[in-house]
Amino acid sequence: MSNASLLLASLQHGDSFFPSGAVSFSWGLETLFSEGALTNADDIEAFARTQLQGRWAGFDRSVLISAHDAASLKDGDIDELHRIDAIVETQTLAREMRDGSHRSGLALLRVHEKMGTPGTSSYYDDIRGNKTRGHLSVMQGFVWARCGITKFDAQVIAAHALCVGLLGAALRLGAIGHVDSQRILASLRDPIDLILCHEAPVLERVHAFTPHSEIAVMRHETADSRLFAN
Amino acid sequence: MKSEKIFKHTSPARVGIGGPVGSGKTALIEKLIPTLEARGIEVAVVTNDLVTKEDAERLKRSGLIDPDRVRAVETGACPHTAIREDPTLNIQAADDLAAEFPSVGIIIIESGGDNLASTFSLDLVDYWLFVIDTAGGDDIPRKKGPGIIRSDLLVINKIDLAPLVGSDLELMEKDANEVRGDRPMVMTNCATGEGIVAIVNQLSRDVLFDA
Ligand SMILES: Nc1nc2c(ncn2[C@@H]2O[C@H](COP(=O)(O)OP(=O)(O)OP(=O)(O)O)[C@@H](O)[C@H]2O)c(=O)[nH]1
Ligand SMILES: [Mg+2]
Repeated sequence: MSNASLLLASLQHGDSFFPSGAVSFSWGLETLFSEGALTNADDIEAFARTQLQGRWAGFDRSVLISAHDAASLKDGDIDELHRIDAIVETQTLAREMRDGSHRSGLALLRVHEKMGTPGTSSYYDDIRGNKTRGHLSVMQGFVWARCGITKFDAQVIAAHALCVGLLGAALRLGAIGHVDSQRILASLRDPIDLILCHEAPVLERVHAFTPHSEIAVMRHETADSRLFAN
Repeated sequence: MKSEKIFKHTSPARVGIGGPVGSGKTALIEKLIPTLEARGIEVAVVTNDLVTKEDAERLKRSGLIDPDRVRAVETGACPHTAIREDPTLNIQAADDLAAEFPSVGIIIIESGGDNLASTFSLDLVDYWLFVIDTAGGDDIPRKKGPGIIRSDLLVINKIDLAPLVGSDLELMEKDANEVRGDRPMVMTNCATGEGIVAIVNQLSRDVLFDA
Protein backbone atom coordinates (compact mmCIF):
# COMPACT_ATOMS: atom_id res chain seq x y z
CA MET A 1 0.00 0.00 0.00
CA SER A 2 1.16 3.56 -0.67
CA ASN A 3 1.73 5.94 2.23
CA ALA A 4 -1.45 7.79 1.46
CA SER A 5 -3.49 4.64 1.26
CA LEU A 6 -2.02 3.34 4.56
CA LEU A 7 -2.88 6.61 6.25
CA LEU A 8 -6.34 6.58 4.72
CA ALA A 9 -6.90 3.04 5.99
CA SER A 10 -5.88 4.10 9.50
CA LEU A 11 -8.17 7.11 9.33
CA GLN A 12 -11.06 4.92 8.27
CA HIS A 13 -10.61 2.42 11.07
CA GLY A 14 -9.90 5.07 13.71
CA ASP A 15 -12.87 7.21 12.77
CA SER A 16 -15.99 7.16 14.94
CA PHE A 17 -17.86 7.09 11.60
CA PHE A 18 -16.86 3.41 11.43
CA PRO A 19 -19.81 1.50 12.92
CA SER A 20 -18.81 -0.56 15.95
CA GLY A 21 -21.43 0.16 18.60
CA ALA A 22 -18.98 2.41 20.46
CA VAL A 23 -21.55 5.14 21.16
CA SER A 24 -23.45 2.81 23.47
CA PHE A 25 -20.64 2.39 26.00
CA SER A 26 -19.33 4.76 28.68
CA TRP A 27 -17.12 2.30 30.62
CA GLY A 28 -18.19 3.64 34.03
CA LEU A 29 -18.35 7.29 33.09
CA GLU A 30 -22.15 7.50 33.18
CA THR A 31 -22.27 6.26 36.78
CA LEU A 32 -19.37 8.39 38.00
CA PHE A 33 -20.83 11.49 36.38
CA SER A 34 -24.36 10.91 37.66
CA GLU A 35 -23.02 10.32 41.17
CA GLY A 36 -21.03 13.55 41.06
CA ALA A 37 -17.62 11.86 41.26
CA LEU A 38 -16.64 13.51 37.98
CA THR A 39 -17.89 17.01 37.38
CA ASN A 40 -15.70 19.03 35.01
CA ALA A 41 -13.25 18.85 32.12
CA ASP A 42 -10.25 18.24 34.40
CA ASP A 43 -11.98 15.24 35.95
CA ILE A 44 -12.82 13.83 32.53
CA GLU A 45 -9.26 14.27 31.35
CA ALA A 46 -7.97 12.50 34.47
CA PHE A 47 -10.48 9.70 33.94
CA ALA A 48 -9.35 9.19 30.34
CA ARG A 49 -5.70 9.22 31.39
CA THR A 50 -6.37 6.61 34.05
CA GLN A 51 -8.15 4.38 31.56
CA LEU A 52 -5.20 4.67 29.20
CA GLN A 53 -2.48 4.11 31.78
CA GLY A 54 -4.26 1.87 34.25
CA ARG A 55 -6.11 -0.38 31.85
CA TRP A 56 -5.27 0.01 28.19
CA ALA A 57 -1.46 0.11 28.51
CA GLY A 58 -1.07 -3.02 30.62
CA PHE A 59 -4.01 -5.03 29.37
CA ASP A 60 -5.83 -4.17 26.14
CA ARG A 61 -2.64 -3.14 24.38
CA SER A 62 -0.93 -6.48 25.03
CA VAL A 63 -4.04 -8.33 23.99
CA LEU A 64 -4.23 -6.35 20.76
CA ILE A 65 -0.55 -6.97 19.99
CA SER A 66 -0.87 -10.71 20.58
CA ALA A 67 -4.02 -10.88 18.48
CA HIS A 68 -2.36 -8.91 15.69
CA ASP A 69 0.59 -11.33 15.78
CA ALA A 70 -1.66 -14.37 15.70
CA ALA A 71 -3.78 -12.96 12.87
CA SER A 72 -0.72 -12.03 10.83
CA LEU A 73 0.48 -15.63 10.56
CA LYS A 74 -0.41 -17.40 7.35
CA ASP A 75 -4.09 -18.41 7.61
CA GLY A 76 -4.09 -16.91 11.11
CA ASP A 77 -3.59 -18.87 14.32
CA ILE A 78 -7.23 -19.25 15.29
CA ASP A 79 -6.52 -21.40 18.36
CA GLU A 80 -4.23 -18.70 19.66
CA LEU A 81 -6.92 -16.05 19.06
CA HIS A 82 -9.38 -18.18 21.04
CA ARG A 83 -6.83 -18.52 23.83
CA ILE A 84 -6.32 -14.73 23.94
CA ASP A 85 -10.08 -14.24 23.97
CA ALA A 86 -10.34 -16.61 26.94
CA ILE A 87 -7.70 -14.65 28.86
CA VAL A 88 -9.67 -11.43 28.42
CA GLU A 89 -12.88 -13.17 29.47
CA THR A 90 -11.40 -14.54 32.68
CA GLN A 91 -9.53 -11.37 33.62
CA THR A 92 -12.34 -8.89 33.19
CA LEU A 93 -14.18 -8.81 36.47
CA ALA A 94 -17.18 -6.51 36.05
CA ARG A 95 -20.00 -8.07 34.05
CA GLU A 96 -20.83 -4.96 32.04
CA MET A 97 -17.15 -4.47 31.18
CA ARG A 98 -17.02 -8.03 29.91
CA ASP A 99 -20.30 -7.74 28.03
CA GLY A 100 -19.31 -4.36 26.61
CA SER A 101 -16.02 -5.77 25.37
CA HIS A 102 -17.77 -8.79 23.84
CA ARG A 103 -20.59 -6.79 22.25
CA SER A 104 -18.36 -4.13 20.75
CA GLY A 105 -15.85 -6.72 19.56
CA LEU A 106 -18.63 -8.68 17.90
CA ALA A 107 -20.07 -5.52 16.35
CA LEU A 108 -16.69 -4.59 14.88
CA LEU A 109 -16.15 -8.10 13.56
CA ARG A 110 -19.63 -8.26 12.06
CA VAL A 111 -19.08 -5.13 9.99
CA HIS A 112 -15.80 -6.58 8.72
CA GLU A 113 -17.54 -9.83 7.95
CA LYS A 114 -20.08 -7.93 5.85
CA MET A 115 -17.27 -5.98 4.19
CA GLY A 116 -15.52 -9.23 3.31
CA THR A 117 -12.38 -8.80 5.43
CA PRO A 118 -10.54 -12.15 5.06
CA GLY A 119 -11.03 -14.73 7.80
CA THR A 120 -13.70 -12.78 9.67
CA SER A 121 -16.61 -14.90 8.58
CA SER A 122 -15.38 -18.11 10.25
CA TYR A 123 -14.45 -16.24 13.43
CA TYR A 124 -17.94 -14.79 13.48
CA ASP A 125 -19.32 -18.33 13.29
CA ASP A 126 -17.02 -19.36 16.17
CA ILE A 127 -18.49 -16.62 18.35
CA ARG A 128 -22.07 -17.40 17.34
CA GLY A 129 -21.34 -21.05 18.08
CA ASN A 130 -20.09 -20.10 21.58
CA LYS A 131 -16.59 -21.37 20.86
CA THR A 132 -15.09 -18.01 21.79
CA ARG A 133 -16.19 -14.55 22.85
CA GLY A 134 -14.70 -12.00 20.45
CA HIS A 135 -13.49 -9.36 22.88
CA LEU A 136 -12.87 -5.87 21.54
CA SER A 137 -9.06 -5.75 21.77
CA VAL A 138 -8.76 -9.23 20.28
CA MET A 139 -11.03 -8.29 17.39
CA GLN A 140 -9.19 -5.01 16.84
CA GLY A 141 -5.85 -6.82 16.53
CA PHE A 142 -7.42 -9.49 14.35
CA VAL A 143 -9.39 -7.41 11.84
CA TRP A 144 -6.89 -4.62 11.56
CA ALA A 145 -4.08 -7.09 10.85
CA ARG A 146 -6.33 -8.55 8.18
CA CYS A 147 -6.79 -5.09 6.69
CA GLY A 148 -3.05 -4.60 6.40
CA ILE A 149 -2.79 -2.13 9.28
CA THR A 150 0.63 -2.41 10.96
CA LYS A 151 0.88 -3.48 14.57
CA PHE A 152 2.05 -0.02 15.58
CA ASP A 153 -0.74 1.76 13.75
CA ALA A 154 -3.26 -0.67 15.24
CA GLN A 155 -2.15 0.39 18.72
CA VAL A 156 -2.40 4.07 17.85
CA ILE A 157 -5.88 3.57 16.40
CA ALA A 158 -7.06 1.60 19.43
CA ALA A 159 -5.79 4.18 21.92
CA HIS A 160 -7.37 6.95 19.87
CA ALA A 161 -10.68 5.08 19.61
CA LEU A 162 -10.72 4.55 23.38
CA CYS A 163 -10.21 8.27 24.02
CA VAL A 164 -12.77 9.34 21.43
CA GLY A 165 -15.29 6.90 22.90
CA LEU A 166 -14.83 8.22 26.43
CA LEU A 167 -14.83 11.87 25.40
CA GLY A 168 -17.87 11.34 23.18
CA ALA A 169 -19.70 9.81 26.13
CA ALA A 170 -18.65 12.72 28.37
CA LEU A 171 -19.84 15.17 25.76
CA ARG A 172 -23.24 13.52 25.44
CA LEU A 173 -23.60 13.36 29.21
CA GLY A 174 -23.07 17.12 29.26
CA ALA A 175 -19.85 16.90 31.28
CA ILE A 176 -17.75 18.72 28.68
CA GLY A 177 -18.28 20.81 25.57
CA HIS A 178 -17.04 20.32 22.02
CA VAL A 179 -13.95 22.50 22.50
CA ASP A 180 -12.94 20.86 25.77
CA SER A 181 -13.27 17.44 24.20
CA GLN A 182 -10.83 18.36 21.43
CA ARG A 183 -8.44 20.05 23.87
CA ILE A 184 -8.43 16.96 26.07
CA LEU A 185 -7.97 14.65 23.08
CA ALA A 186 -4.89 16.64 22.08
CA SER A 187 -3.53 16.55 25.64
CA LEU A 188 -3.78 12.75 25.64
CA ARG A 189 -1.34 12.43 22.75
CA ASP A 190 1.72 12.64 25.00
CA PRO A 191 0.57 9.99 27.45
CA ILE A 192 -0.30 7.68 24.52
CA ASP A 193 3.08 8.34 22.96
CA LEU A 194 4.81 7.53 26.24
CA ILE A 195 2.90 4.27 26.59
CA LEU A 196 3.87 3.26 23.05
CA CYS A 197 7.55 3.98 23.77
CA HIS A 198 7.61 1.20 26.35
CA GLU A 199 7.36 -2.54 25.80
CA ALA A 200 3.90 -3.92 26.39
CA PRO A 201 3.70 -6.68 29.01
CA VAL A 202 3.61 -10.19 27.57
CA LEU A 203 0.21 -11.86 27.53
CA GLU A 204 0.95 -13.91 30.66
CA ARG A 205 1.55 -10.71 32.62
CA VAL A 206 -1.31 -8.50 31.54
CA HIS A 207 -2.83 -6.46 34.31
CA ALA A 208 -5.25 -3.61 34.85
CA PHE A 209 -5.94 -1.53 37.93
CA THR A 210 -8.85 0.89 37.61
CA PRO A 211 -10.98 0.02 40.65
CA HIS A 212 -12.90 3.31 40.71
CA SER A 213 -14.35 2.83 37.25
CA GLU A 214 -14.76 -0.94 37.58
CA ILE A 215 -16.84 -0.62 40.72
CA ALA A 216 -18.82 2.13 38.99
CA VAL A 217 -19.50 -0.28 36.13
CA MET A 218 -20.76 -2.84 38.65
CA ARG A 219 -23.10 -0.27 40.17
CA HIS A 220 -24.28 0.64 36.69
CA GLU A 221 -25.89 -2.81 36.36
CA THR A 222 -28.69 -1.72 38.66
CA ALA A 223 -28.73 2.01 37.92
CA ASP A 224 -32.04 3.66 37.03
CA SER A 225 -30.55 5.95 34.47
CA ARG A 226 -29.11 3.98 31.58
CA LEU A 227 -28.23 6.06 28.58
CA PHE A 228 -25.29 3.73 28.10
CA ALA A 229 -24.82 -0.04 28.25
CA ASN A 230 -22.07 0.29 30.85
CA MET B 1 -48.46 -5.82 -5.67
CA LYS B 2 -45.49 -7.33 -3.93
CA SER B 3 -42.68 -5.14 -2.76
CA GLU B 4 -39.81 -4.92 -5.20
CA LYS B 5 -37.27 -4.46 -2.46
CA ILE B 6 -34.53 -7.02 -2.19
CA PHE B 7 -34.69 -8.35 1.34
CA LYS B 8 -31.34 -8.83 2.99
CA HIS B 9 -32.73 -10.57 6.04
CA THR B 10 -34.50 -13.66 4.85
CA SER B 11 -36.15 -14.71 8.05
CA PRO B 12 -37.48 -13.37 10.30
CA ALA B 13 -38.54 -10.04 8.82
CA ARG B 14 -37.18 -6.97 10.60
CA VAL B 15 -39.48 -4.01 10.92
CA GLY B 16 -38.48 -0.62 12.32
CA ILE B 17 -40.84 1.74 14.13
CA GLY B 18 -39.65 5.33 14.44
CA GLY B 19 -41.21 8.65 15.28
CA PRO B 20 -41.17 11.53 17.77
CA VAL B 21 -41.25 11.05 21.54
CA GLY B 22 -44.65 9.97 22.79
CA SER B 23 -46.27 9.56 19.38
CA GLY B 24 -47.42 6.05 20.32
CA LYS B 25 -44.69 3.68 19.07
CA THR B 26 -44.87 1.37 22.09
CA ALA B 27 -48.67 1.58 22.18
CA LEU B 28 -48.71 0.52 18.53
CA ILE B 29 -46.46 -2.47 19.29
CA GLU B 30 -48.79 -3.45 22.15
CA LYS B 31 -51.66 -3.58 19.67
CA LEU B 32 -49.66 -5.22 16.87
CA ILE B 33 -48.43 -8.16 18.97
CA PRO B 34 -51.83 -9.81 19.64
CA THR B 35 -53.10 -9.06 16.13
CA LEU B 36 -50.02 -10.62 14.52
CA GLU B 37 -49.99 -13.57 16.92
CA ALA B 38 -53.67 -14.20 16.14
CA ARG B 39 -52.59 -14.72 12.55
CA GLY B 40 -49.91 -17.15 13.66
CA ILE B 41 -47.01 -14.74 13.35
CA GLU B 42 -44.73 -14.81 16.37
CA VAL B 43 -43.18 -11.53 17.42
CA ALA B 44 -39.97 -10.41 19.14
CA VAL B 45 -39.10 -6.81 20.02
CA VAL B 46 -35.96 -4.71 20.40
CA THR B 47 -36.45 -1.38 22.18
CA ASN B 48 -34.07 1.58 22.18
CA ASP B 49 -35.14 3.33 25.35
CA LEU B 50 -33.36 6.61 25.77
CA VAL B 51 -32.68 6.88 29.47
CA THR B 52 -34.25 3.89 31.19
CA LYS B 53 -35.51 0.45 30.21
CA GLU B 54 -39.06 1.72 30.59
CA ASP B 55 -40.48 0.51 27.24
CA ALA B 56 -38.71 -2.86 27.45
CA GLU B 57 -40.04 -3.37 30.99
CA ARG B 58 -43.53 -2.24 29.97
CA LEU B 59 -43.64 -4.80 27.16
CA LYS B 60 -42.16 -7.54 29.35
CA ARG B 61 -44.79 -6.94 32.01
CA SER B 62 -47.62 -6.55 29.52
CA GLY B 63 -48.41 -10.26 29.40
CA LEU B 64 -48.65 -9.91 25.63
CA ILE B 65 -45.29 -11.47 24.90
CA ASP B 66 -42.75 -13.83 26.46
CA PRO B 67 -40.43 -11.42 28.36
CA ASP B 68 -37.36 -13.20 26.93
CA ARG B 69 -38.42 -12.04 23.49
CA VAL B 70 -37.95 -8.38 24.43
CA ARG B 71 -34.46 -6.86 24.40
CA ALA B 72 -33.40 -3.34 25.32
CA VAL B 73 -30.43 -1.77 23.55
CA GLU B 74 -28.93 1.36 25.08
CA THR B 75 -27.96 3.93 22.49
CA GLY B 76 -25.67 6.29 24.44
CA ALA B 77 -28.01 9.25 23.88
CA CYS B 78 -27.78 8.70 20.11
CA PRO B 79 -31.16 7.24 19.08
CA HIS B 80 -30.73 8.26 15.44
CA THR B 81 -27.18 6.85 15.24
CA ALA B 82 -28.38 3.47 16.52
CA ILE B 83 -30.86 3.05 13.66
CA ARG B 84 -28.83 4.65 10.90
CA GLU B 85 -25.07 5.38 11.03
CA ASP B 86 -24.21 2.65 13.52
CA PRO B 87 -27.00 0.08 13.84
CA THR B 88 -24.54 -2.68 14.82
CA LEU B 89 -25.87 -3.30 18.34
CA ASN B 90 -29.48 -3.35 17.16
CA ILE B 91 -28.49 -5.85 14.47
CA GLN B 92 -26.77 -7.90 17.16
CA ALA B 93 -29.88 -7.91 19.36
CA ALA B 94 -32.08 -8.90 16.40
CA ASP B 95 -29.61 -11.65 15.42
CA ASP B 96 -29.68 -12.96 19.01
CA LEU B 97 -33.48 -13.07 19.01
CA ALA B 98 -33.58 -14.75 15.60
CA ALA B 99 -31.12 -17.41 16.76
CA GLU B 100 -32.82 -18.06 20.10
CA PHE B 101 -36.38 -18.08 18.77
CA PRO B 102 -36.38 -19.66 15.31
CA SER B 103 -40.17 -19.64 15.16
CA VAL B 104 -40.35 -15.85 15.34
CA GLY B 105 -41.69 -14.39 12.10
CA ILE B 106 -41.19 -10.70 12.73
CA ILE B 107 -38.75 -8.71 14.83
CA ILE B 108 -39.94 -5.20 15.62
CA ILE B 109 -37.27 -2.61 16.41
CA GLU B 110 -38.62 0.46 18.24
CA SER B 111 -36.39 3.48 17.88
CA GLY B 112 -35.95 5.85 20.78
CA GLY B 113 -38.22 8.87 20.36
CA ASP B 114 -36.46 11.16 17.93
CA ASN B 115 -37.10 14.01 15.52
CA LEU B 116 -38.69 14.22 12.10
CA ALA B 117 -35.35 13.71 10.35
CA SER B 118 -34.69 10.20 11.66
CA THR B 119 -34.59 7.33 9.19
CA PHE B 120 -33.79 3.62 9.45
CA SER B 121 -30.81 2.04 7.71
CA LEU B 122 -31.92 -0.71 5.35
CA ASP B 123 -28.98 -2.73 6.67
CA LEU B 124 -30.98 -2.92 9.91
CA VAL B 125 -34.59 -3.34 8.77
CA ASP B 126 -36.50 -4.62 5.75
CA TYR B 127 -39.31 -2.16 6.22
CA TRP B 128 -40.06 0.74 8.54
CA LEU B 129 -42.99 2.65 9.94
CA PHE B 130 -42.96 6.24 11.08
CA VAL B 131 -45.49 7.16 13.75
CA ILE B 132 -46.66 10.73 14.27
CA ASP B 133 -49.72 11.83 16.19
CA THR B 134 -52.43 14.43 15.83
CA ALA B 135 -51.52 16.07 19.13
CA GLY B 136 -48.11 17.00 17.72
CA GLY B 137 -49.89 19.48 15.44
CA ASP B 138 -51.63 19.11 12.08
CA ASP B 139 -48.76 20.85 10.30
CA ILE B 140 -46.35 17.93 10.87
CA PRO B 141 -46.94 16.16 7.51
CA ARG B 142 -46.45 19.47 5.75
CA LYS B 143 -43.03 19.81 7.40
CA LYS B 144 -41.86 16.92 5.24
CA GLY B 145 -39.21 15.32 7.42
CA PRO B 146 -37.44 12.31 5.89
CA GLY B 147 -39.40 10.06 8.27
CA ILE B 148 -42.67 11.31 6.84
CA ILE B 149 -41.58 11.17 3.23
CA ARG B 150 -39.37 8.08 3.13
CA SER B 151 -40.91 5.62 5.60
CA ASP B 152 -42.54 2.57 4.02
CA LEU B 153 -45.68 3.18 6.03
CA LEU B 154 -46.74 6.40 7.73
CA VAL B 155 -48.94 6.06 10.79
CA ILE B 156 -50.95 9.04 12.01
CA ASN B 157 -51.89 8.06 15.53
CA LYS B 158 -54.18 9.44 18.26
CA ILE B 159 -56.94 10.33 15.81
CA ASP B 160 -59.26 10.39 18.84
CA LEU B 161 -57.40 13.44 20.11
CA ALA B 162 -57.65 15.47 16.90
CA PRO B 163 -60.83 17.37 17.84
CA LEU B 164 -59.53 18.00 21.35
CA VAL B 165 -56.30 19.62 20.21
CA GLY B 166 -57.77 21.39 17.22
CA SER B 167 -55.98 19.29 14.60
CA ASP B 168 -57.56 18.97 11.17
CA LEU B 169 -57.38 15.25 10.29
CA GLU B 170 -58.40 15.72 6.68
CA LEU B 171 -55.68 18.29 6.21
CA MET B 172 -53.09 15.93 7.74
CA GLU B 173 -54.20 13.15 5.42
CA LYS B 174 -54.15 15.39 2.37
CA ASP B 175 -50.71 16.86 3.17
CA ALA B 176 -49.27 13.41 3.93
CA ASN B 177 -50.56 12.00 0.64
CA GLU B 178 -49.17 14.97 -1.20
CA VAL B 179 -45.63 14.51 0.11
CA ARG B 180 -45.70 10.69 -0.01
CA GLY B 181 -47.17 10.11 -3.44
CA ASP B 182 -48.71 6.64 -3.48
CA ARG B 183 -46.87 5.27 -0.46
CA PRO B 184 -49.27 3.96 2.16
CA MET B 185 -50.53 5.73 5.25
CA VAL B 186 -52.79 4.53 8.05
CA MET B 187 -54.73 6.50 10.66
CA THR B 188 -54.85 4.86 14.06
CA ASN B 189 -56.10 5.09 17.58
CA CYS B 190 -53.71 2.87 19.47
CA ALA B 191 -55.72 3.28 22.63
CA THR B 192 -58.65 1.37 21.10
CA GLY B 193 -56.95 -0.55 18.28
CA GLU B 194 -58.63 1.30 15.42
CA GLY B 195 -56.53 1.02 12.25
CA ILE B 196 -54.34 -1.80 13.55
CA VAL B 197 -55.79 -4.41 11.18
CA ALA B 198 -54.96 -2.15 8.24
CA ILE B 199 -51.33 -2.01 9.39
CA VAL B 200 -51.12 -5.76 9.86
CA ASN B 201 -52.62 -6.27 6.39
CA GLN B 202 -49.99 -3.96 4.97
CA LEU B 203 -47.21 -5.83 6.80
CA SER B 204 -48.56 -9.18 5.66
CA ARG B 205 -48.48 -8.04 2.06
CA ASP B 206 -45.23 -6.08 1.94
CA VAL B 207 -43.07 -7.82 4.52
CA LEU B 208 -44.38 -11.31 5.16
CA PHE B 209 -45.61 -11.88 1.61
CA ASP B 210 -48.83 -13.54 2.77
CA ALA B 211 -50.93 -11.81 0.14
N1 LIG C 1 -55.65 9.02 23.33
C1 LIG C 1 -54.67 8.28 22.80
N2 LIG C 1 -53.55 8.08 23.51
C2 LIG C 1 -52.57 7.33 22.96
C3 LIG C 1 -52.70 6.76 21.68
N3 LIG C 1 -51.56 6.09 21.40
C4 LIG C 1 -50.76 6.22 22.47
N4 LIG C 1 -51.37 6.97 23.43
C5 LIG C 1 -50.80 7.40 24.70
O1 LIG C 1 -49.72 8.27 24.44
C6 LIG C 1 -48.69 8.13 25.41
C7 LIG C 1 -47.36 7.84 24.74
O2 LIG C 1 -47.44 6.57 24.08
P1 LIG C 1 -46.18 5.62 23.90
O3 LIG C 1 -46.66 4.40 23.20
O4 LIG C 1 -45.47 5.45 25.18
O5 LIG C 1 -45.31 6.53 22.94
P2 LIG C 1 -43.86 6.22 22.33
O6 LIG C 1 -43.85 6.78 20.96
O7 LIG C 1 -43.53 4.79 22.49
O8 LIG C 1 -42.94 7.11 23.29
P3 LIG C 1 -41.34 7.07 23.47
O9 LIG C 1 -40.92 5.64 23.36
O10 LIG C 1 -41.11 7.66 24.80
O11 LIG C 1 -40.79 7.92 22.36
C8 LIG C 1 -49.14 7.02 26.33
O12 LIG C 1 -49.73 7.60 27.45
C9 LIG C 1 -50.18 6.27 25.50
O13 LIG C 1 -51.14 5.62 26.28
C10 LIG C 1 -53.91 7.01 20.95
O14 LIG C 1 -54.10 6.58 19.81
N5 LIG C 1 -54.85 7.78 21.57
MG1 LIG D 1 -41.87 3.90 23.36
